[in-house]
Amino acid sequence: MSKEFKKGAYESRIDVRGFIQTNYTPYEGDDGFLCGPTKRTKKLMEKVNALLKKESDKGGVLDVDTERVSSLLTYPAGYIDKENEIIVGLQTDAPLKRGVNPFGGIRMARQACEAYGYKLSDLVETEFSYKTTHNDAVFHVYTDEMKAVRHAGLLTGLPDAYGRGRIIGDYRRVALYGVDKLIEEKMKDKKAYGEKLMDEQNIRTLEELYKQIDFLKKLKEMGMMYGVDISGPAKNAKEAIQWTYFAYLAAIKEQNGAAMSLGRVSTFLDIYIERDLENGTLTEEEAQELIDDFVIKLRITRQLRTPEYNDLFGGDPTWTTESVGGMGEDGRTLVTKTSYRILNTLYNLGAAPEPNLTILWSENLPEPFKKFCAKVSIDTDSIQYENDDLMRPIYGDDYGIACCVSAMKIGKQMQFFGARCNLAKLLLLALNGGKDEKSGNQLAPEGKNFEGVLDYKEVREAYHKYMAWLCRLYVNTLNVIHYMHDKYAYEKIQMALHDTEVERFLACGVAGLSVAVDSLSAIKYAKVTPVYNEQGIICDFKIEGEFPKYGNDDDRVDDIAKDLLREFSDELKKTPAYRGAIHTLSVLTITSNVVYGKKTGATPDGRAAGEPFAPGANPMHNRDLSGALASLNSVAKLPYEYCRDGISNTFSIVPSALGENREDRAENLTDMLDGYFGQGAHHLNVNVLDRAKLVAAMEHPELYPNITIRVSGYAVNFHKLSKAHQLEVLKRTYHERV
Amino acid sequence: MAGKTGRIDSVYCGSGVDGKGLRCIVFFSGCNLRCPFCHNPETLFKSGKETEVGELVTKLLRYKGYFRRGGVTLSGGEPFLQKDFYLELANALHENKIHVCVETNGHICDSELIAASDSILCDIKNQEEDDLTVYAPFFAECLRQGKEVQLTNVLVPGKNDSKEKITALAKFIKEFWPGSAMKFLPFRKLCEEKYRELSRPFPYADVREAEPKDVEKAEKLFADSVI
Repeated sequence: MSKEFKKGAYESRIDVRGFIQTNYTPYEGDDGFLCGPTKRTKKLMEKVNALLKKESDKGGVLDVDTERVSSLLTYPAGYIDKENEIIVGLQTDAPLKRGVNPFGGIRMARQACEAYGYKLSDLVETEFSYKTTHNDAVFHVYTDEMKAVRHAGLLTGLPDAYGRGRIIGDYRRVALYGVDKLIEEKMKDKKAYGEKLMDEQNIRTLEELYKQIDFLKKLKEMGMMYGVDISGPAKNAKEAIQWTYFAYLAAIKEQNGAAMSLGRVSTFLDIYIERDLENGTLTEEEAQELIDDFVIKLRITRQLRTPEYNDLFGGDPTWTTESVGGMGEDGRTLVTKTSYRILNTLYNLGAAPEPNLTILWSENLPEPFKKFCAKVSIDTDSIQYENDDLMRPIYGDDYGIACCVSAMKIGKQMQFFGARCNLAKLLLLALNGGKDEKSGNQLAPEGKNFEGVLDYKEVREAYHKYMAWLCRLYVNTLNVIHYMHDKYAYEKIQMALHDTEVERFLACGVAGLSVAVDSLSAIKYAKVTPVYNEQGIICDFKIEGEFPKYGNDDDRVDDIAKDLLREFSDELKKTPAYRGAIHTLSVLTITSNVVYGKKTGATPDGRAAGEPFAPGANPMHNRDLSGALASLNSVAKLPYEYCRDGISNTFSIVPSALGENREDRAENLTDMLDGYFGQGAHHLNVNVLDRAKLVAAMEHPELYPNITIRVSGYAVNFHKLSKAHQLEVLKRTYHERV
Repeated sequence: MAGKTGRIDSVYCGSGVDGKGLRCIVFFSGCNLRCPFCHNPETLFKSGKETEVGELVTKLLRYKGYFRRGGVTLSGGEPFLQKDFYLELANALHENKIHVCVETNGHICDSELIAASDSILCDIKNQEEDDLTVYAPFFAECLRQGKEVQLTNVLVPGKNDSKEKITALAKFIKEFWPGSAMKFLPFRKLCEEKYRELSRPFPYADVREAEPKDVEKAEKLFADSVI
């Protein structure tokens, strides 16, 4: 008699969490049960590695299909090695071949093709000459002021020329219910909304529901192209993985968002694996092989980007973020054997940046799991940590992380990605009476010019005034972007895998926090005098005396950081967001801190013009001198309450400073994570890597082909970073105690 | 909580190699020795900052969350030189259930100070000296109190890496702890910059740094030496 799933309310309505809670098996043991890669896996991985090398040799892009526009049914079925693949499906008809996705903007698609020696076909050009893209539409509406702050780099990385991303479809629904049931539910919704008053909002919802249903049908067809019928529920582990992967694949064929995250699938999939194991239809080795094969697919997802885009987001990331572990609301751990299996892919397939494996850390995670994670961190540098004890009370126990640090309830919440504002540049704008320090242009309303020694109170008042001005402009700009994205590049398949009524966030962000904070600290505690150029613009600062610096667990300056974030968050909320979205804020820069630094003049903290910022919420390079824990404590003070879209911190330490041997290092890393998150900190990237090794890797990439390092919120292959990014990583404080 | 004051050079928060677990290290100012390889010359030649026990404990308590297996290491300088301050500090840390490790040169044998320390790191200085009897009373007291002692020795090429030196060291140590191992710390010159800042010559500036192979050799010699 074969084991069946426990019945529950999840059968009568869409409720993946209910299914998980009713059926999953928490695992509190250690990693002893794990299996290595099978011969088949190794052979397939060799093929993939050869392709990856070819891609790298060709300058980062292996091939581009310029004749077609990427979508669910555009390309015939593609394989890496048809006979040897267990989980099938590629974005285009060949592995690593990139599709063109001009819905966000045709110009960006064209430039991306050209940058890699391709030409977008006349067919696509002609077709899109009759279409309004998201990018066209945004620029039809942008005001001069919006264009000016965007151009100056006060607002940067806005998703107005490509897919906004950061939306997680609940890809598990396809496996649990099959596509037919999902269509049926959406049709019911459509009928119900059809009864309502046909106002603008309702008409939009109905049109969106039409698109969702249309794309669910296409999803089914896409499966059939691979000879797989996904209309009904998955019947075993292999099918559950295949169905889930197809749903994700459909999303990355349709959309080229910066971050196309996977969600939280491992514990869900574990339920199918456990059942098959119990029924004797699957062995542990086969279970691992399934997960390995799935992860191989996730590792080769690609989008076509321009070189400028790569300047901003180094390392060709896709942010295929998978959230692993965490605790359930009932106190049981959500760690299962498949949480281990997915981490084990880093050993079986070698370390790699994608999928972006993210551990939801709780003080109550089983000790063996904590230790295993720490070991994987030390061995591979490929995982990041986020505080489940902080997020669970807000998002429940079925949320996932989009991109690096953005939490959302899976299938129930989504966000409008809003990139970020350059806080350091904004301070210079305030000191220059509304003028851009680089161009001298009057960007904001004219204000007071500062002369002589800066007075903290006066500076703070001016800063606040310009912050209020910018926050209003920022939210308005995002409203335009997301209105147009919904209209011209709506995420049909991803939103089909959400409830029809979703909660929306307007995810704003700040960059250059540590520079702004240290600058204010310098003005407050030392003597800072601006130096002017011939045009009367501040080009430098004379700093006399000492001042406390963010990153040393010194409340005098850390409080400035807290105040600044609260103030910024409050100002954002004063301007209503599109579609009733809730304003959130992140302190995250990804690798763009290099570009933002380039666009920002000298600052009152002594940072020279053009010098990179620290990433995310990190203290500025070489200023956190009181030890690693002091640096962590400073970041831990930043209030998640006001930064609900995440606070990113990247921590690098040389192995010898973390402990004398492998065992001690793992224990100490575990204690560090407990201590840091115990104070309500949000996120930590961990790099346990010798600085010397990175220097060697820069000089001899051939000797260290697979060095993975973590930058704000994601892992990258060190060699995929530009020289500027590599140098910046080297410069970033390495905690080295002798 | 105010309490006694002591002279502190600095507090470093976050080490995985100065005692068990993650630790904060308090560097006391002042030392009774002048070792030519000293890594922390600032604790010898600067007077440090007058610091109250209460103020220091408040600061250290901010790191308690990291101390599951770790705690605070009192180092320097020579922490045992400031007895009253040391005792009050160790006491206050114990009241807060924080593990106290001391890094001492073993030249000061004081049963109260030893008793106030949960574990002891003692560095043996035989680079310029052959007579090790100065350590005997300290070791005997640690043994009597049943303290956990970890011994270290800075291995300086040409000074204390010869077979004779290491054998003598091993024999002396094994009188007290027969099966014990020695943790040889390779001599490094990273502190040169600190001497420059202090405008003082670094006495061992011309000595070469110890390499991993020197350490391996010393470990083997030490292990092979029996009484």
